[in-house]
This record gives sequence, C-alpha cells and structure tokens, in this order.
Amino acid sequence: MLRVLIALCLLTVPARADGVAALYEGTHSWAEIEAEARGGTVNWFMWGGSDSINRYVSDHLATILKRDHEITLNRIGVTDAAEVVNLVLSEKEAGITSGGAVDLVWINGENFRSMRQADLALCGYTGLLPNAALVDWENPSISNDFGVPVDGCEVPWNTVQFAFAYDKAVLSEPPRSMAELLDWIKANPGRFTYPAPPDFTGSAFVRHVFIYAAGGPETLLGPFDQSKFEAVAAKTWAILNDLEPFLWRGGQTYPTGVVQLNELFANGEVAFTFNYDPAQFGLAVDAGIYPSTTRSFGLMDGTLGNTNYTLIPFNATNKAAAMVLQNLLLAPEEQFEKAKPEVWGAAPAIAIDRLSPEFQADFAALAAHPSVIAASALAPHALPELQADWLTAIEAGWREDVGR
Amino acid sequence: MTGGWRIFGMLAPLLLVLAGLFGLGLGLTLMRSLRYLPAIGLTEPDLAAYRAVLTAPRFLASVVWSLWIAGASSGISALLSLGTALLLRHGFAGRGLLLALIELGLAVPHVVGALGILYLFSQSGSFARLAFGAGLIDQPAAFPALTHDPYAIGIILLYVWKEMPFMTLVLLARLKRIGPGHEAVARSLGATPWQAFAQVLLPMLLPSLLVATALVFAFAFGAYEVPLLLGPHAPEAVSVVAWKHHTDVDLSARPEAMAMAVLVFVIAGAVLALGARLVWRLGGFSR
Amino acid sequence: MPLLILGIWSVAHGWRFPALVPGEVSFAAWSYVLSSASGVGASLGLTLSIAVATAVIATVISYPAGRALGRHRFPGRFAVLVLVLAPAVLPALAVALGLQGLFLRLGLTGTVSGVVLAHLIPALPYPTLVMTAAFAAFEPEFEHQARSLGARPLQVLAHVTLPAVAPALRVGAALAFLVSWSQYLLTLGIGAGKVQTLPLVLFTFATSGRNDLTGAVSLVHLLPALLVVGFTLALRMFHRVGGGRWSVPGVGG
Repeated sequence: MLRVLIALCLLTVPARADGVAALYEGTHSWAEIEAEARGGTVNWFMWGGSDSINRYVSDHLATILKRDHEITLNRIGVTDAAEVVNLVLSEKEAGITSGGAVDLVWINGENFRSMRQADLALCGYTGLLPNAALVDWENPSISNDFGVPVDGCEVPWNTVQFAFAYDKAVLSEPPRSMAELLDWIKANPGRFTYPAPPDFTGSAFVRHVFIYAAGGPETLLGPFDQSKFEAVAAKTWAILNDLEPFLWRGGQTYPTGVVQLNELFANGEVAFTFNYDPAQFGLAVDAGIYPSTTRSFGLMDGTLGNTNYTLIPFNATNKAAAMVLQNLLLAPEEQFEKAKPEVWGAAPAIAIDRLSPEFQADFAALAAHPSVIAASALAPHALPELQADWLTAIEAGWREDVGR
Repeated sequence: MTGGWRIFGMLAPLLLVLAGLFGLGLGLTLMRSLRYLPAIGLTEPDLAAYRAVLTAPRFLASVVWSLWIAGASSGISALLSLGTALLLRHGFAGRGLLLALIELGLAVPHVVGALGILYLFSQSGSFARLAFGAGLIDQPAAFPALTHDPYAIGIILLYVWKEMPFMTLVLLARLKRIGPGHEAVARSLGATPWQAFAQVLLPMLLPSLLVATALVFAFAFGAYEVPLLLGPHAPEAVSVVAWKHHTDVDLSARPEAMAMAVLVFVIAGAVLALGARLVWRLGGFSR
Repeated sequence: MPLLILGIWSVAHGWRFPALVPGEVSFAAWSYVLSSASGVGASLGLTLSIAVATAVIATVISYPAGRALGRHRFPGRFAVLVLVLAPAVLPALAVALGLQGLFLRLGLTGTVSGVVLAHLIPALPYPTLVMTAAFAAFEPEFEHQARSLGARPLQVLAHVTLPAVAPALRVGAALAFLVSWSQYLLTLGIGAGKVQTLPLVLFTFATSGRNDLTGAVSLVHLLPALLVVGFTLALRMFHRVGGGRWSVPGVGG
C-alpha cells in the first residue's frame, strides 16, 4: 500500500522540461515581449536596508514602469539575497516550475553561483534586450561573476570597486598599501577590525590579504588549486593571527557584519571601515551616520572590483515584465540617474563610450560626493575576483585558523 | 447530557489546528531529519544527519550557550519576580498603576525591546555616553561589552526585563489565591517571619514559580531574533545555527537543520517535563 | 522603557558617540517611513489584518474548547492540555521547518491565509487556557436558572454566558493578537518573503545600520500593541463589576 502511495507521489512530480539551465522558449521579438508585459506586475526581491535605493526603485523606477508600460513594480525588501535563493530552491524542491513568487532578484557572487548550480536561473534571453547592446559583454569582469561565467543568465546593474573610508579630522594621512595598513594597525592597537567571514565584506577584506600574501593575483586566477591555496593560506593566516592582538577588543571577537563595523567607525571606535560600494559612504554621510569629514581611498596594490546583476528565476510568473524592467535598468537615463550622488552614486554597468555624446558629457560632469572616491580613481588599481571555489576555501580556512 | 461526542465536537476545531498543523509540521520535520521523504526518492531513514549535527563543535557550542542564556534569564527572573511579588503583595499607593504599567510592558515585542537594549547598553550607546560625560571612560572600548559579547549579558538583560513582569504577575495571582491565612496561622503558632515565609509560603508558591521558570527557560532556549540582534559572531544561538543551515544552498544541509530543530525541541521539552515532574513531586497545585 | 530611546533615535541626525543628545533633529526618517516607498504603511496594514484574523479565529476556537476543558473532566483532558500548552512554549522552529514543506505543496506559502494558519499555532494556547480558567470559575447555576425560567439556549448564551466570560474573551483575543503581531520566524518561513509583516521590515532596517529608520519603524511596530493592551486594561477597569478577575493562564489547573 505504501509503495503504491510512493509511486503515485513520484508520478505527480512534473517532469523537467530541460536537464540544463532553463532556456527561454521561442524566439520572441522585443515587441512581443513588451506587449506581453503590458499591464502586468513584477515582484523584484532585493536588499531592503537602504532607504535611498528603496526610494529610487519604489518611487522613481515604479513611476516610469507604470507610465511607459503599465507595469506595477513590487519591491520586496529582504535582509539577504541568500533568502531569495533559498525561496526559489524550496519552490523547485516542491515541484513549482511556474508561477513562482520571485520575478527578479538583485544578486551576485556566491548567490549567483548557487542559483546556477541548482539550475534556478532563466538563461539565454539577454540578447533580446535592446539595451544589452550598451553592455561590454567582452569585459571579463562583466562576463564573469566571481569567476562563474554569466552565460546569459543575468544582466548587469552596477559596477563596484572595494574602497576604504576614514575620518580626515582624526587621521590626516591614511595608509596607501596593504603593507602600510598592516603596519598602521600594529602601531595603533585597538583601532581596526574587520567583519568575520562569511560576511560578504569581511570575506572580501580577507581576500585582499590573501592576494597580498600571494604577491599578486596572477597565480590565483583560474580554477582552484589545492596546493597553491595551502601555501598562500598558511602565509595569510600567519599575517591575520599576528594581527589579532592589535585589533579592536584584542581580536577576542569580530563584528558580525559590515553594519556593525560601520557603526564602530561612525562612533570613532575604529579608524577605518570599508565597502564594495563606495557610494555607501556618501549615503551614510548624507544620512548623518558618518561625520562629514569622511573620505575614501583605495590601495596601491589594488582592490577587488566586481559587478552586481539582476536575475530572473526559471519559474518566475512574470518573465516578460521582468525583462522589460531589466531593459529599463540598463537604459542610459537610469544608469545616469542612479549615478547621481544625491540619488545613490552607483557606478554604471554600461560602457560609457557606447553612449551618445550628450550622455558621455553628462557622466563626465557628474560631481562625485566628497566622501566617495571616484570610480575612475580606483579603476587603475583593480584586482579581479577569484573564482568561487577559492572564496569558499578562504572562508572555511579563516573560520578554522583565525576565527577560532 | 454531556456526552463524550459533544465534548469532542467542542474540542474539534482546536484539535484540528493544533494536532493538524503543529503535529504535521513537527512530523514532517522529524521525517526530513531522518532523511525520509518518499516524494523525492529518499526511502530509507537514517541517522546520518543526527550524527553530523551531534559531532559538530559549532552546534554543541551553541547548545551550551543557549542553555546558559535560558538558565541565567529564567533563574534571575525567578528570583527577582519572587522578591517583587512579595513586595507588591500588599496594597500601597500607586499599586494599581504599577500593575497596569507591568501589563503594558508585556505588549512590547521582543525585537523592539532588544533594539532598546542595543541603543542603551552598547559600547557606543546612551549609557556609555553618560559614562563618558561623567569622565568614567575615555573611549567606547573602555565601556564594558554588554552587547555582542560572549556572556550574552545584553540578551539575558532583555529576557529578564521582558519575562520578570510576566512571572511577577503569575506569582501575584497565586499569592492572591493562597491568601494570608496560612502565614498568619504559622505566626500565631510562634514562627518567625522568615520561618513563616520559608516553610509555609514558599512551598505553596514553588509549583507556580517552577512552572513559570520552566516556561521562560524553554522560550529563551529556542529564541531566534533576540540572539541574532544582540549576540556575538560566535557562539550563536541554536535556532540561529539551525536556520542558517536550513537556508544554506547546499541542500544536504537541510536534514541537518531539521535534526537541529528536533533536538532543540526535545531539549526544551525535556526541561518542561522535568519542571512538571518536580511540580508533581511537590504535590501539585493545592487549592 | 525603550520607547524613549527609540523615539529619540527616530529623529536624530548625526548622533554619534559621545554626544548625549542628537546634534540635529530631523524628520527625514519619519517622512521616509510614512511614505509609500518604504512599504511600512502597507506592512502595518498587513500585519494588523493578520493579527486581527488570528485573534478572531483563535478566540472563536478557544470558546468551545475552553468550555470543554474547563467544565468537564474527561479522559485525556491532561493530554489535551499538554497539547494546548506545547506550541506556546516549545520553539516554533521545529514546526516551521516541516510546515514550510507542507504548505509549499498546498500552495499556501507566500499567502496571507497560510501565514494566519501558521500564526494560529503559537497563538491558540493563550486564549484557550484563559477560557479554560474562565469556564472553570464560571458558575453553571446561572445558566440552569435561566433555562428553568424559560429562556432559549441562544438567549442564555447572549445574556448569561457571554457577558460572564467576556473579559476572558477579551484577554484571550488580546494575547492571540500580540502573539501574531510579534511573529518573525514563522512569517519568514511560511510567508516566503512575500508576506512582509512589520517584524520582517523592522529586522531589515535593524540590520542595515540605520538607527533613525529603525527607531521610527520600531515605534510604528510598538504602538498598536500598546493600544490593544491599553484598551483591554481600560475595559477591565470599567467592567470590574462583571466578575472579570484576571485569570492567569497555565496556573492553577
């Protein structure tokens, strides 16, 4: 009897249409997609902790979508993109292959890799977006998301590059390289810390030390190599363990996340904070969280740069509307709008040299927020991201060897 | 007149919801923890998840830490509420107002209370700033670490603040029902006030106190939001660890998350059963 | 009370250590929170409706259940009482994880009804226990007398029973409301991110480092709960005549 039930259960699990990543069926033209999307809804799941970004999406973008395409934009704020991955994964596990809750998700890095690994992304359609022509897909830092090929499964939204922040009223000259920073920390005990991996930002900081210990990123590019990893890891943990007694609270505990680090910085407990998106420093100063004398800088050895994207899950209910939204996000007007420091200050993901002269002039004339270092100043010292396997190994290694 | 079926009918909706949702949910969790889910082809239950969980130092450390939080919170609340209930037992001016304030305090959601504690007691919080103003400290790091600390001081503070009023109300109700008669008799027979308390009143209060303490313990043990907001990066509360495993993209972590949840449930249940047993031994609730 | 500190933070701009009071007072946080872009208003309405629905359903279920448990000693009564008490005190996590899988298949995840059903689990015990205590203290004599005087069952219900247990009903409903109002993990698991109740919104801001926004949303989250309890308290003071002794659930059998 039980066997019959089990057999029935197995029979009701719908057969997968395609073993590999879900491809968008049919050769729809953009006009068809737009028509299909008209009058619809988009449920966009994204990190909701920034009121500026929320306003840009819920007020500005929603109004345009409604006006031009009669599409209703629902911004759904989450605390962490991993929640959304989990949601889509649970849906897939339960056999929900259409009518899913998530239409679009703001994502990158490890979360993207997870979605690819579990075949959760809609792929192969990005060529249909008219504004996709503005993106330089040949650029490796765009066509690869933390070493995982994008493969037409996600659409870029912003480019970011890791930067540090300090208060120039307290510290007149910040260290300019990793070596100088390490020396500074030892000379000023208790004035520096970093969030414990696997926090996104803390993990990035550890990667900077890792690349420094390896003498540069060249040997680390490409697939994961256990022996190379172990050699460099040994040096990295030695550096970080050496550093521990000079950290905030003597290294007894680490901030749980970048937010806590930001707070330590805001209250003057530590001298530096850092972030992948330097625009956050400007937003924080405007919100009164950081002192107005906050300034940012990069390292001569280079800092990590990457792109963040939007992705449509394979089982999204409103695929066409999501595509229309993605196209809008890439539009020159919108990339320019969010680059304005009073709106967000996010660096564009489209290639400026492919835009009209008017737009190029607009972008050139954009005044950066005094607290935010210009993307062009950071770009000459950009480090490429390592492939995702390196990340996992580094995070696990940190936990065991440094984090206790 | 009151047939068994009628009683069953009255209880039916309750049983449907509780047994149905609660029982089913729990049952499913148990099944998943044993890696038994025919719908996706797992037809052989095994204890692999439990083995993995029980040997993971991270989980064991969090169990100990959560036990510490629960024990300290419930113990301190019990002592404080006992004292407060005895004090408030007799009428005094403003007693009604105080009681109303306590009841109002029960309405504050735990998360809001936790945020209040964070903004007041953190090293850059209001009390630290007061200390700075008074010249007691010269930088935030000099203020004792009461939040995000390994001793869970902030967390315990929140639970005591939130649960102590609840326990006080429970004890007050019990005191009211007991009445002053018993102690009066003891005193008239020559007992000192302390003897009247320790040997007459306290034993009568103990069952209620134990039940309330066990309830607070079980609640604090399985808590999620408060340790997440006020705790350090390690150790983490059991529910936090379990939820992180559940939302891990590695699907094989799910049975482990289920196993953790079941273990949390079992431990909390064991504590309650222990409390119930103790109450029984003490003679239960004598009217 | 934390009210004060949260309130001050909600209007603070540029308030860093070691300042005792905010450098600037700004209502930017409030204007954002009250705007539609923040989604706080919608969340407030949603959380309210879920909590009210939970309270109503829980109270309705608890009435007959409490009557059965309070008035009759039947075999298995203790077991039922344990079952009733269990969800209130045992960690909801174990139930939530399993329930999520079930609800997914039933299509209940991400729906308001699914969340209400889930909230019923921890909410039901309180009104049930309160009603049990109320019925245990209720004198059946009044009902018998009314019946013997010729009143119909419905009249007995409306004019004798209900007024007598009304205070307990109110307390039970208020407790169920509060339980649903503060739920986080259950809503996160069952609501699957689509059902954004206030605790979820609050959490996102609390973990984003914006103390001013967090302070404002905290107050929005706090006020209705305070109002509900305050209202119940006030009613109790007015109806002291009706024999509405505040019976504590779970104590005294």
